[in-house]
This record gives sequence, C-alpha cells and structure tokens, in this order.
Amino acid sequence: MAEKYVGQRVKRTEDPRLIQGLGHYVDDIKLADMLHVAFLRSMYAHARITSIDTSEALHAPGVVAVYTGQDVSSKIGQVPCGAALPDLKVPDHRVLATDKVYFVGHPIAAVVATDRYAARDAIDLIIVDYEELPAVIDVEGAASNSTVIHEHFGDNIAYKLTAGEGDIEAALASADHVVKQRLVHQRLAPIAMEPRGVLARYLPGEKELTLWSSTQIPHLMRTQVAIMLGIPENKLRVIAPEVGGGFGSKLNVYAEEALLGWIAMQLARPVKWIETRRENIQATIHGRGQVGYIEIGCKNDGTITGLRYNVFADMGAYHQLLTPAIPTLTGLMLSGCYKIPAIQMNTTAVFTNKMATDAYRGAGRPEATHVIERAMDMVAAKLKMDPVEVRRRNFPTPEEFPFKTATGLFYDSGNYVGALDKALEMADYSKLRKDQAAARKDGKIIGVGVSTYVEICAIGPSAATPAGGWESATVRVEPTGKVTVLTGASPHGQGQETSFAQIAADALGVDLNDIAVVHGDTAIVQYGIGTFGSRATAVGGTALVLALEELTKKATRFAAHLLEAEPESLQFEDGKFSTDGKSVSIQEVALAAHLARNIPADMDPGLSATRFFEPKNFTFPFGTHIVVSEIDRDTGDVKLTKYVAVDDCGKVINPMLVEGQIHGGIVQSIGQALYEELVYDDQGQLVTGTLMDYAVPKAAMIPWLELDRTETPSPVNPLGVKGVGEAGTIGATPAIVNSIVDALSPFGITHLDMPLRPELLWKIVNNAG
Amino acid sequence: MKIEGTQEISADRERVYSALIDPAVLQRCIPGCEKLEATGENTYSARLRAGVGSIKGIFNGAVKLEDMQPPSRYRMIVDGKGQPGFLKGSGEIALDEKNGATLITFSGDVQVGGTIAGVGQRMIQGAAKMMATQFFTAIEAEAKARPDEPPPTHGFFRTALRWFSGFIRRSVAR
Repeated sequence: MAEKYVGQRVKRTEDPRLIQGLGHYVDDIKLADMLHVAFLRSMYAHARITSIDTSEALHAPGVVAVYTGQDVSSKIGQVPCGAALPDLKVPDHRVLATDKVYFVGHPIAAVVATDRYAARDAIDLIIVDYEELPAVIDVEGAASNSTVIHEHFGDNIAYKLTAGEGDIEAALASADHVVKQRLVHQRLAPIAMEPRGVLARYLPGEKELTLWSSTQIPHLMRTQVAIMLGIPENKLRVIAPEVGGGFGSKLNVYAEEALLGWIAMQLARPVKWIETRRENIQATIHGRGQVGYIEIGCKNDGTITGLRYNVFADMGAYHQLLTPAIPTLTGLMLSGCYKIPAIQMNTTAVFTNKMATDAYRGAGRPEATHVIERAMDMVAAKLKMDPVEVRRRNFPTPEEFPFKTATGLFYDSGNYVGALDKALEMADYSKLRKDQAAARKDGKIIGVGVSTYVEICAIGPSAATPAGGWESATVRVEPTGKVTVLTGASPHGQGQETSFAQIAADALGVDLNDIAVVHGDTAIVQYGIGTFGSRATAVGGTALVLALEELTKKATRFAAHLLEAEPESLQFEDGKFSTDGKSVSIQEVALAAHLARNIPADMDPGLSATRFFEPKNFTFPFGTHIVVSEIDRDTGDVKLTKYVAVDDCGKVINPMLVEGQIHGGIVQSIGQALYEELVYDDQGQLVTGTLMDYAVPKAAMIPWLELDRTETPSPVNPLGVKGVGEAGTIGATPAIVNSIVDALSPFGITHLDMPLRPELLWKIVNNAG
Repeated sequence: MKIEGTQEISADRERVYSALIDPAVLQRCIPGCEKLEATGENTYSARLRAGVGSIKGIFNGAVKLEDMQPPSRYRMIVDGKGQPGFLKGSGEIALDEKNGATLITFSGDVQVGGTIAGVGQRMIQGAAKMMATQFFTAIEAEAKARPDEPPPTHGFFRTALRWFSGFIRRSVAR
C-alpha cells in the first residue's frame, strides 16, 4: 500500500466540531419528557443507616419519585468486579446503600424530578439517621484494624499475593549493598474534563432500553448492565457519544448506569444524571493508592541482583470493575528496562472507607516505574555513580529481545540505549551536569532527573485479560463509494477517527474525507472491547488492517470479474484496479458489487469485511525522560526548566496524535509529582473535595516539552505499533521526582514522597524540619 | 480541628457568665440561631442557620454544658447535623477578671463531615473566628444591658457597629 497519509501529521478530523462546541456529549442530548436524577450521598465514611425518611422529599415541587436501597436492592444486581484472583474477597456491592454506608459519597437515595434543580433541592429533604462507626483510613494499618468494614470477611484484607521469579533471598544476600526505602503512591483523582453522565430511555412497547453513557467500554457495559437489570442483552443499546476524557475512570460499570436504566424502565420516561464535579471527586474511581517498601540489591559495579517490593494496596470500600487487578500490573512491570535476575512482590490489598481505586492512566504501571526508577537513583547515590551509568549497566541489548523478565513477561522489542543516548544528546547531559555544579556554587538549587521506562500496552492476549483481549473492525464501501469503518474500540479523545481513516485511506487509495470512522454505539458497531490500556491502535487498528486486506481481496475478485481478467494479474494502486490498459476504480467496483448484476457466482453482493485481531503478546513501549528542576529558596516553588522526552511507541500512524498523548501524559505526571493528592482525614472525610483543594496543574505550571522519538517496530502486530496513551504518565513522574531529589541531595535528601509541594521543599531548604 | 481564641468583654464576670448560660440570651447572640430550647438540665436542642462560603444550610443539634464552675469556667459539647454536613465538638470556656472586664478564653476540638468538610474545611477556622467575634460582641451588649431594659438586638450590622465602636474605644484606650 502506498503511504500517503500514514506517518503524516494529519490534523484531527474530530477537532472542528469539538472546538466549535458542536460535539454532542451526554448532557447535550435532550429528549422529550426527560426527567432528572440527583443522588443523596453519605456524609459519613462508615456508618450504619438506622432510618431513611423520604416522605418530605416525595412531596417537594417537581419530584416524581424517590428510590432508596430498600426499593432497588432486590431488583438490580451487583455492581460487577471483573478481576479474578485466588482467594479474592468480593464484597456485596449494591447500587444504593442499604444497611451501611462505606465511604463519603456512597449513594443512598435517588431523587427523580422534572428538572435537575428540583431534584437537587429535594435531596436536602431526605432525613437519614446514621449510627457512626469508626473509619478505616490508614492503608498500612487496615489489615490489623479492629474495625472490619465488611464484617463477614473477618478482616480488611481483600487478597494477598506473592508474585515474581528467582531466589530473592539469595539475590539480596549476594549483593554488595541492599538499599531500602518506604515509598508512597498517593491517591489521585482522574478528573476527566467531562464528568460522568447517563441518559436512559425505555420504550415499553418495543421493550428496548437505550443508555447514553460517558464510557470507554460501551459493549462491555451493555453485557454487564443487561445482567444487572435482568433484561435481554439484545434489547439494550449502549451509546457512548462524545466522551470528554476518561483516563481509565470510565473503563468501568458504575451503580448509576444500571440505576438510571432501571428508573427509566419504572417510569417509562427518559431520565438523565450528570455528575457534578464534587460527586466526580468523591464517587468516580480514584487512581494509585499504594504504600510500599523497596529492597534492591546491587553489586559495587552497579549491577542489580534483585528487587523486593512489599506493598499495601488501597482498594477502597468496594471493588469496581478492575480494582483488585491494578496492583498485579505493578508486579508485572517491576523489572523496568533492566536485567534483574530475581524479583518478588508481596501484595496486601486492603479495604478502607474510601472510594474504590481502579485504572487511572497507567493503571499500576506508573507505580512500578516509580519504584524501579527511584530505586535505580538510590542505588546510584549509594554507589556514588552517575544515575545514567547505573541504568546503562543493567539494560538488555537490542539483540536480547524478546527479553524475558523475572516477572514472567517477554518484552517484544526494544533499544533502550538508543532512546537514552538520543535524550542525553538532546538535553546535552554532560553540559547539564557542569552547569549544575556551577549553579550550586552560586547557591542555586538545581537538579537533573532521568527516568528510563518501559511499559506494557496493547492489552492484550485474551488469556491475560478479564473480558477478551481482542478487537474488531468492519470496513464497508457503500454504493456511492464512500467508506465506513466500524471499530469496536471506543476512542474518546485519542483521535482514532483520524488515524484509522489514515490507515483505511492508504489501504484503499481513497480520499481521507471519504472515510467515516464510526464507534461507540452497540446497535451499529459489532461487539468490541473498548479503549484502554493503550490498545485501540495496536489491537483495534490491526483488526482494521486485517479487514482492509480482506476487503481488498474481495474487491480484487469483483474487479477481475468486471475486467474479465485473472485476479492475480490485477494491479491495485491509488484506488484503481488495472490490467492490460483496462482499469476500474474501487468506487465502481463497490457499486457493481451492490447492484450484483455482474458478479462472480460464488460471491455475495456488497463490499464489506469484518475481522478480529487478538495479539499473541503485549507490546512494550519505552523511552527516556530527562528533567531539570530548580527550587526557589524563598518560596520552595519548583520550576521545571528543561524537559526532554524521547519515546518509542513503535511505528507511528500520526506523529501529531502521538505528541498530543505524550503532552497530556506528562502534564498529568507533573500533577502527581508536584501538586495532586486526594486527602482523607482520620474520620474518612475527603478534604480535597473540589478543584480549589485538589490541585490539577494549570498551563502556566507546564514547561516547554522537547519531544522526539526512536522507532522500534513491534513484532506483535503487522502495523508495528506499540501504543502511547499512557507512556507520559508512566515515564515522567520518576524523572521529575529524581530531579528534585537530585537538587536536594546537598541537603542530605535521598528520597521524597509525592506530591512535592512548595511547603515540603521550603522546609527542607530552610531547615525548618 | 482546633478552634481557639480569646475575647475581652467590658462587663462584669458574673453578668457575662450568666449571659453565656442563659438560653434566651444565647439564642439572641449566636449568629443564625433560630431556636434554642432547654431539653433537660444544662442540655438544649438548637436550630442554627450557618455555613461557610456557598455551603449553607440548617443544622439541628444538641448542646450540653458540663463541669460548670460559676463564674469561672464550663465545658460545652455540641453535636449537630444538617444538609451541608455534620459537626461535633467540645470545648472549654474560661472567664477571668481583668481590670474590671472579663477575659474569655475558649479552646475546642471540632470535627466536621460531609460537604462542609470536602468543600469548606480550609475556610472553617476563619468562619468560626468571625462567628465567635459576632457572638461575643453580642454577649457584651447583653451583659452590659440594665435588667430593666428590653434586651438588645443583634442583627449583623448592629453587631458589626458595636464591634467597630469597641475596637475604636480599645484603640484609643491604648
């Protein structure tokens, strides 16, 4: 295929409608007779509900119905957990609280009213009597806490798991040094620009329920909500319209989604709920939430002998769709991009009286990368070696791929030295170190931080995923010659409407504008898995490539028939099939195939193909990030004065989309490294409940990002792509923290836990404890 | 969270003390208090309209006075709940004579929950301080009023005016 579009900086076809405000998000969809839902949520972290009185709310102006846990618990099934682990404890998870509330924000009652203000006002009229219980908040103490959240389990341990290979005891014993460090991955809120939202419509005659939901996984949601509501899956349609960001927070099936569907069925009127930002921070899944202890062994020459990571993972009060699986991804990626003969991770996953954690951009891998990249710097500090040199000594060479880790993975391809050297050159690393030494003499507090990361993408082989790891694609050439691409992936900001059109336009030799990429509607698109785990292009894009190949084969046969030639003799170029001076365009072929007056006897009319792709392995993108930071002595404020990132995500369809993903990922990493933290107080009150208190970085806090790439194709899929959605949040965080720890090393600092707020740094610099 | 402070009231200590434990006086003086009724010995049920910033609402709760040592000290326990959240706390109130005036020292521990904790926590101490100033300015007016006079009124502007004139007076006295 001639590559006219693939590899080019094609502008996103999604953007004109989005930047003009012409896109349609859930809240933009308005149906006749639509009612609005608001939720009463728990103000206690842990309490018994002794009574609920909804009588006053029911008589409030505009209120149509009020539902409590008693009304719905026997009617709607459990909120699903898709993760399976040995001896995993899965708590009862009802859509509304019944006898107890388990976290601040736990939904207790739903009010349905003629407008959203009436619904909200009526919430205040519901009287709930609580008997407050002690809250389990501290992650490390939860396992031994005498307060048990789910009493019938006997303790607060959700599961314990030991993973890894190699003799860790011997590996640490053989080391010249063992460096130990406690390390915290604070809880974060994903903060998608568009909060969650659901619109449900039921047609009693047709017995059809339609859910418009801001989701990353319309098909998986259709299956799960049909099960929860006990309705036939073929009578439920899920539509993900424009979705304003997810970052994993919408890779889930939430109580509200099933509940809205049920209410629409009860009232036979459309019902809508749009999450407020306060609800979003309280009751949409959180990310990270691990407290771990690292032990890393090294030889005097910098060779790593082994790594042990004992971790307490905060599940929150319940499991959402993938909650327990997230720490297992940490365990898989602990080896980083290094040859480590023995690795062991001991996980104690605990219940606490907080919102559930789950996948947030990176999902377990940022934790792993932070562990190993902090550990490599601590080893370098211990050995008084340059952190770059320690990394270099432990890299596998490009010839060693596929590279097997002691966590049981086979890294597909990589050239870690290549990305590192390119980044060092771009940053002029040796000059940076000289400048740093000179600046220190002038009393400046400057640090240089490096992170060489690898991550796991393109999720994944079905055997390693809870609900199928494949993806699907259908390509149709319509009678008029326009091309429709249906993808089972559900892009929500990543730009696959553009990149998939690039792939199809090149394969079929048609204009980019003649292609429509359709996704996110279960009634239109064949079953698919969704967009998460940096999989949409590597898995969904590959399914598209396979479908395009099959469609081209079919078209070749139709064309040969029209040209009265053998299919093998045809050339296909620029959208034209030709042989012996005769030619026919793919558009003409499509029309002929639809009219079916002159087609081979053994072929069906029409021109379309559907294919599925299941990768045999994950892909492993990698790269190097280098950061220079300067700390203001008077204010403790950090300025990132240089940011260089070299990322290798395999082959690239659209460099501009790749850069956009890296930009966004780094920005969210800067948020974690410097500003963001969800704080629950001792009683389990969420004290960072608004964007006044939860500090998402602003544009002025972001440095100029100097980006480049190396390109090591993945052998796992024919496109050679690896995935790039999460690389930024995985590679950047440790680079930033390493630079600040490096800046503060003259103050005796060897490690700091995020977020590195000015207050913390000022105290160190000014020796105020 | 800790709430503490001191307030000087230019009135006789016995008068101040009895004002501080008189439900009728308290109802008039506590900003936003709509109801304060005795439900037993030294226990009261209260209805309070209060809030921090945009988080406003009505709180219903119980107030209990303990360890009463007239006219020098007592202990107050508060437990209230409303649409914006809940608050619970207890504190010590001490009254000392100082040059014919009364120095009130209060210190307490308050726990808040719900929206008020998630949204307003950082502003609560400031709001509490403002309410305390309003309250004690009102108490001062009560304690200075002659028994045969009708009780003073304590609207926001009247209280602010009293606080301001007291401030000028104290500044001049220095």
